[in-house]
Formats: sequence, C-alpha cells, structure tokens
Amino acid sequence: MNRTEKILWGIALVGFLAGIAGLIQRFTGGHTVAAYGTYVPWGLWVAVYTTLVGISIGSFLIAALGEGARIRALQPLTRIALLTAFAALAGGLLAIWLDLGHPLRFWKLFLSTNPTSIMGWMAWFYTAYGILLLVLIYLQWARPTSPLLRLLFGLGLALAVIFGGAEGALFGVVSAQALWESALVPIRFLIEGAASGMALVLFLAILLGYLEPESGRFLRWTLLGLLLTVAVLEWSEYSTTIYAGIPTKVESLRVVLFGPFWWVFWIFQIGLGLVAPIILLAFLGERKVWLGTAGGLIAFTSLSAKLNLVIPALVVPELEGLRMAFTGPGLSFDYFPTLSEWLLAVWVVSVAALIFLAAYRLLPAEQARHA
Amino acid sequence: MAQETQTRIRALATRRAFLTRFASGIFASLIVPAVASGVLDQVEAAPQEGAGPAPMPELPEGMNGQHPIERMLQDLQRALQKPVDQRRWAMVIDLRKCVGCYACTVACIAENKLPPGIAYRPVITETRGTYPNVSRRFIPRPCMQCENPPCVPVCPVRATWKRPDGIVVINYDQCIGCRYCITACPYAARSFDSGYFYSDFEGGLPQPYESLPSPEYGENRVRRKDTSPVGNVRKCHFCLHRIERGQLPACVLSCMGRATYFGDLNDPQSLVSELASRPNAFRLKEELGTEPKVFYLV
Ligand code: SF4
Ligand code: SF4
Repeated sequence: MNRTEKILWGIALVGFLAGIAGLIQRFTGGHTVAAYGTYVPWGLWVAVYTTLVGISIGSFLIAALGEGARIRALQPLTRIALLTAFAALAGGLLAIWLDLGHPLRFWKLFLSTNPTSIMGWMAWFYTAYGILLLVLIYLQWARPTSPLLRLLFGLGLALAVIFGGAEGALFGVVSAQALWESALVPIRFLIEGAASGMALVLFLAILLGYLEPESGRFLRWTLLGLLLTVAVLEWSEYSTTIYAGIPTKVESLRVVLFGPFWWVFWIFQIGLGLVAPIILLAFLGERKVWLGTAGGLIAFTSLSAKLNLVIPALVVPELEGLRMAFTGPGLSFDYFPTLSEWLLAVWVVSVAALIFLAAYRLLPAEQARHA
Repeated sequence: MAQETQTRIRALATRRAFLTRFASGIFASLIVPAVASGVLDQVEAAPQEGAGPAPMPELPEGMNGQHPIERMLQDLQRALQKPVDQRRWAMVIDLRKCVGCYACTVACIAENKLPPGIAYRPVITETRGTYPNVSRRFIPRPCMQCENPPCVPVCPVRATWKRPDGIVVINYDQCIGCRYCITACPYAARSFDSGYFYSDFEGGLPQPYESLPSPEYGENRVRRKDTSPVGNVRKCHFCLHRIERGQLPACVLSCMGRATYFGDLNDPQSLVSELASRPNAFRLKEELGTEPKVFYLV
C-alpha cells in the first residue's frame, strides 16, 4: 500500500467512525433527528443519494465507452471506473435506504412495484445495474478475454443513459414542484452525473498514479465539453424561468441565487464546480496536477447542484399562508440539515470510499490495453 | 395490545350508550370534540365488521326541518344505500362563513388522534391590503380528494389509491415512507409522521391520550414509536370511518360558523351538489387538472 492509499484509508476511516454517531442517532431517534419533515420532505440524504448515483453512472460510462464503444484512450481506466461505479452505487442506495420511513419494507419495492411510479421502476433499474456491475467486475478480473464482456458493456452503456435520465425524471415529472418540473432536468442529471463520475475517476487515477497521457487528454476534452453543456443547460433553464416569471418557480430560483445559501450556488456550484475547472481544463494544459485538481473540484462540488435542485423547490410553500397556518415539528419551510444528518451523510460517503479502497486492494486495477 | 384496545372499545361502547340516552347522536357528536378535559370520552371506536350505518339520530327540536346538519345526514344515508362506486364524496367550504376559529383543525386532531406536527386540516389565513386597511379571510385546507390525484401514481409500492367513492387513502402497512407522494401533492395535504409524541416536548412517558387507538380506516391503531403510522405519510380521508357508519366528518360537525358541508356529489338532491354548482364556487389550483372535490364558496 503506497502513501496515497494510506492517506485515503485514513480519511475514509475517520469519516466512517465519526459518522457512526449519525447512524446510531438515526436508529435510536428515527426521523426525529432530521430537519426534514412534512413541508420539506426530502433533504440532505436524498441529495447525497442522487449525487452518488450520478457519480456511479458517470464512472460506469468511462468503462462502457472504453470497452463497449472501443474508445482506446479510456480502456486503461476500465477497472478503476468499474470499482468506482460499484462503490458509489452502494453508497447512494445506502443513503436512500436510511432515508426511508420504513427501511425494512424495501422489499415491497420489488413485490408490489407500481408501474406508474418512476421510483418503482428505479428500484428495478438499480437492481439490474447493480447485478450488471457485479457480473462485469467478475468477468473483467476472472475472464478478461470473454466475448460476453463487450456485449454486456454495450448493454450497460444503453442502460446507463436511460437510467441516468430516469433519475432526473423522478424529479422532472413532479408538476407540484415548479423548479423540478422541466424536460431539462433528466438531461441535466445525465450530463452532470457523467461529468462528476468521469471527474472522480480522473482524480483517482491521478492520485493512485496510473493515468496514461492519452486517457488524460481524452478526459480533459470530454469533461470540458460536458461542463460547457452543463453551463448551457443551466443558463437556458434559469434564464427562461426568470423571463417566464411563473411565481413559484421564480421564487425557488430566487432562493437558489440569492437565498440564505446563495454561496452554495455561486461559490460551490458555479465557482468551484464549473468556472474553475473550465479554466483549468481549457487553459492549463495536461499537467496531472491541473487535471487532478479539475477532476477533484468537479466531483467534490457535485453535491451542490443536487442540493440546489432538491431543496429550493420544497422550501417554497405550495399555498401561501401555510407557513403560519399550523405549527409543530416538521411544519417548517426552512431547511438546514441537522448534525445527525451531516454525520450520517459523512458515514455513507465513507462507506462508499471504504468499499472502493477495499476492492482496489483486493482486485488489481492495472490492466493490459486491448490489442 | 389488541386486548387493551378491545377493552377500551368495550368501555367506550358503554359510555356511548350512556351518552345517547341523554342526548341525541348528533348532539353527542357536537360536544365530543369540545370536551377536551375528558379526552377518553372523545374516542369513537371504529365500526366493527358487519356494523351498518347508524340510524338517523333524533335531533333537538330547533334542528328539525331543513337544518343543514339534518339535510346532510339524510344525504349521507341516501348515499350509503347506493353501491360504493356510485358515491362521490365532496366537501363545500363557505369562506364567507369561516371565522378562523380552528375548531375543525382541533376536532380533526382529536378525532384521528394526531401527533404533534400533523394537522390534516390547517386553516390558512390570507391578509389583504396594507395596515391599517386590511381584510382577512380564512381558508381551511383538508385533502382535496382529487379526482386525478397526482399523489397516487408516484407511489412506488401502491400504498395509496383512490377508492371507488373518490376518497384517496393510504395503507399504513404498505407505505415505505419514501415521501414521494408528499412532493407530488400540489396542496401540501400529506404529512410525514416522523414519530414525535407530545411527551417528547413535555418530558416523561407518552401521555395516556397519546396511547388511544386512532379510528382511522377502521383500524384502531395505537401509535407507538417503532411501528406504523410512525414513519408513514398520513392525510385527511374525510373521516371515512365516520362516513361509513352514517356520521358526518368531525370537521363538519365542529364548524361553529356552519361553513363546511359534506355529502354526495353524485346525488343532485344533496346539499353539497346544490352548493358546489353555484356560480360562486371555485376550487384551489383548478388549472392543474387535479379536479379537487373540495369546493370553496366566495
Ligand atoms: S390534495 Fe394532495 S393528497 Fe389529497 S388527493 Fe389531491 S394530491 Fe392527493
Ligand atoms: S410515502 Fe408511502 S404512500 Fe407516499 S409514495 Fe412513499 S410509499 Fe407511497
């Protein structure tokens, strides 16, 4: 184990241990330990879940494009991308499982699936995707020459695109939440997910010391393209919203841009998550330090975009006057995660990191390039 | 626990019999929510299987004739004679008569044994004008029992659905508590039961009134920290358990301004049909196409 790996283990273990306090509170206090409730029913854990699932899809795209679409520059990253995709998926599902009011009833998602519910479909998508990842990991390490691999990667590529969009559709179809209801939301989820997952793989590959120049070059331009697309999508969404002036939607957007957490948008989502990496990727060449910094910035700020979608939509009352109509726990349109929520989120991310590190230890990620 | 519930129900049945001897059924229902100190007296056990609708209560003399309560009770009886899929339960709320007293909010909480932070029928206050030239109006907001309920198709496990009579219900044992339906309701009419008890704020163990069985859906569930409906989403169901035994919803009976009316929209003779078809009736967020079955008169 080299020094970098040791540091990563250390950080993940500290996060895991600190986060256990949040886990214990979640199990002893149920949902009373969280700040979400009736008026803001989804909070930090849902944002963490969507972020990790997006990262998983983005990482998987590297492997699927490399092996399924035979993009040679990406092939050296197949293994690390698969491990990242699996660990992030596990973390995302853990976050949403702990968010359920009755986690032990999760099996009902399979036995009583409602075909009209996107969430119902997602349960099956996740299962198919999770199984596919496990099969691919097995084949990649145990039978790397199997002809099945390319077929499954090709299938996975299609699945990842549908699934990445469906994740956004979960929000996009909710007409009651003006900020969510948009045909752009599924596309944004897909593009943002692709960017964050690819960025994380780039960051890890540089950190763990085996990024090949060709992969770096390919990812540099791909990420730049994705980030510019994100910028265009966000601009079209926000500018048309402001111009159209639909009150609840504008109000949610006002919360994003100028609300009490304006800095999450301007500093994290735009400054560090979009502008800084665009500058680094576009102007500072292919030196690993700049590529790695850009990758890290995109991956680690990706939570901000999800927070800015999930929460501002919910903090605007469906009916004006509800804010004061009745008071009590859970009846607030202000939301800021409690310490328990933060700790549990840290725990979930640390679990994902530990899964990745353990898999990375057990399964050598170095890989021969295809002829 | 089941035994305890049965004992309570038997005790309550005896108490009810006692009450009806001295007051008419309707009068008893009227005073029930008001007797805040004798909380036990408020409990109405859900109908036992096979129990039909209650007979028409005898009304005090002044209420005979075409008193709205009597008329609504007759409408209710007529509707209950029909097959369930031919009923269309609806509510009409006359905003000119609502005085913002919150009696309906409290009656609903008492009826359904709701915990802190859950109110199926809050009353929204709207203030217009600039101080001191202001006017106010009060808008009670029950579940709209939408004809096209956006909360239903999103549920991943089919835990919530629209009954043949139009009431949107939740199966607490099926609900996984994902809260997707809350986000989908344009009226914020769904609540998440996070698991709070009044005693959490007052200290000590849950108070006796917190352990009373709730008659919701005729299930007589006793609320405990680790089991449904804690962890579930909950909502107004037009007091389905009362309707089915021929009683009006608690909010309708407790309304001191006589602003809330209830009945069968599929019956042209019913009071709600008559009121809902008036030109001064409107529904909230009608443009969404949810077709609410709660009408407001202005
Ligand atoms: S008001 Fe909300 S909870 Fe009630 S039926 Fe309509 S969408 Fe569902
Ligand atoms: S909270 Fe319950 S009723 Fe609502 S969508 Fe989820 S499972 Fe269905």
